[in-house]
Amino acid sequence: MSGRKLEPFTVFSIIGVGLAVLCCAIPFWMIISGSFTSESELATTGYSLFPDFDFTAYEMIFTGPAVLDAYLASVFITVVGSALSLAVTSGLSWVIARRVPGISRPLTVFSYLPMLFSGGLVPLYLLVTQYLHLQNSYFSVILPLLVMPFLVFVQVSAFRQLPESIFESAKIDGAGELRMFFTIALPLSKPILAVVGLFYAVHYWNDWFMALLFIDDVHKFPLPLVLQNLISNISFTQMLPQLAETATPVYQLRLALTTVAIGPILLAYPFAQRYFVKGITLGATKG
Amino acid sequence: MSTLKTRHESRTSPPSGPPARERRTRGKVTGRTSWSVGLLALPAVGFFLVFNYLPMAGLVVAFKEFDVNLGIFGSPWNGLANFAYFLESGDAARILFNTLFLNVLFLGATLAAGILLAIMLNEIRGTFFKRASQSVVFFPYFVSPVVISIILQVLLAGASGGGGAVNDAMAGFGLPTVDWYTEPGPWPWILTVVKVWQLGGYLSVIFLAAITGIPEEVYEAGMIDGASRAQMAWRITLPLLKPTGAVLLVLGVGRIFYGDFGTIYAIIGDNGTLFENTDVIDTYVFRALRQLGDFGTTAAIGLFQSVVGFILVVIAVLIQRKYSKETSIL
Repeated sequence: MSGRKLEPFTVFSIIGVGLAVLCCAIPFWMIISGSFTSESELATTGYSLFPDFDFTAYEMIFTGPAVLDAYLASVFITVVGSALSLAVTSGLSWVIARRVPGISRPLTVFSYLPMLFSGGLVPLYLLVTQYLHLQNSYFSVILPLLVMPFLVFVQVSAFRQLPESIFESAKIDGAGELRMFFTIALPLSKPILAVVGLFYAVHYWNDWFMALLFIDDVHKFPLPLVLQNLISNISFTQMLPQLAETATPVYQLRLALTTVAIGPILLAYPFAQRYFVKGITLGATKG
Repeated sequence: MSTLKTRHESRTSPPSGPPARERRTRGKVTGRTSWSVGLLALPAVGFFLVFNYLPMAGLVVAFKEFDVNLGIFGSPWNGLANFAYFLESGDAARILFNTLFLNVLFLGATLAAGILLAIMLNEIRGTFFKRASQSVVFFPYFVSPVVISIILQVLLAGASGGGGAVNDAMAGFGLPTVDWYTEPGPWPWILTVVKVWQLGGYLSVIFLAAITGIPEEVYEAGMIDGASRAQMAWRITLPLLKPTGAVLLVLGVGRIFYGDFGTIYAIIGDNGTLFENTDVIDTYVFRALRQLGDFGTTAAIGLFQSVVGFILVVIAVLIQRKYSKETSIL
């Protein structure tokens, strides 16, 4: 393979992929660079390719409690949500994967049917606000997103790849189904648990729709909702501490908050990326 | 590489062999133990019941004149009045058209981009560049729609609302600048570009996995026959990606009545000047619910959306089953 000379199509591909990479990377760079650019500069150009290391916006963000609270809210939703989701998804997937007669098959249909037919927004809204009274609770964001059927696909196919012989010998040794699940299946499935957990974490971290629907209290807004409010001009900036002489750098603040919101994903991404690829591959080809 | 290949080989083995044996041994799970294993699924069953099946029952609101004080089941019936109200409002045709038109655009463009990107990535062999670029193009998938909206603002209007990178670039080429956020015309295409940017890399990962599943011998045969890399991509890879593409297409068609609320609402928000070309069922329903508090009509639209969506999924699955038996998804 190495001895072959470059064909035109290969050159075309390298250029094409290179362009795609630039298209994906430059916008993020503009955001990050802009967040370090002074407000007066941004007011005239609106973006920046070369930062001038102005930290005003970050100073505002990290000196007041408002953004910190939003960050903590997002962290709470992400951590508690992913943990709950992972537990519930694992249990369900195991029962489906075991092919228990009379249980697994109906359970599969039961779990995948909501993918095809949903009650829609209004009944969900009424349920959460009128019947469960979860308004302004973080569980109103967590619970409606608890199980993603795609990730059930992924985990079922991963569980089915575990060698059956282990479970047979465990059964001979007298282990029950629950014990097999907790002491054999779960420890052997750590990589797939990482995959599924990461998917849920990203999902919760980015979610703003449920928060938009159910959280009205500005003090409880998670990070994406704070950002969305900054876009739609509802003034969150009033909650930030005013630095002495200067006016609020609204534009720079937007970009700085955006950077803060994608920061954790950006930092974790190089390590987590291969898990995501693995998860998608499992879900797409086996599902 | 070799481990990857063996996994693929086992995956493509005929389903009649090993799985049948597996099923028999797994069939030994007895009544008592199956009851206890069922416990593990209970939380999930509870979740589906409360958050998916209960709201389905709540759809009766669509046939009622909803009153918060009387609750869903206490409110008086009003037959099909909610549906009639929606159809007569004059918005129906517009948002139905937008929903279908935008989703067809999104689906076609993202699938094409995913396939193209996967084929091009596949041309780059085993280098650091390939892995790094795959990571970069995959990244936008993990970004919140709100962040995408801000990026778009920076590009189209500048963070300050005057100018923007795209306008500066256009001015550089001597083109007139456009006030994008007041001009509804180009928005279907702008949103399509956004969707391609967001999902192209994600889909390329799926297609690339399918490409690695293609046996190497096919390409060797092509090479012996003197095919160029371009011919092999066009005549071998592309046709063999059809089953994967078909599955994704079916899934996409099933969702065609759902307008990707997150991305569109995050970008357009309540910018009324753009509704003409961007308002879809989901965003319309959301605004009707939050701004007007009109539960009956919005539930009626939601029910209509779910029913038509469901019919579309069933049709799509049936068609797909008929044409490719081995890749059926349900």
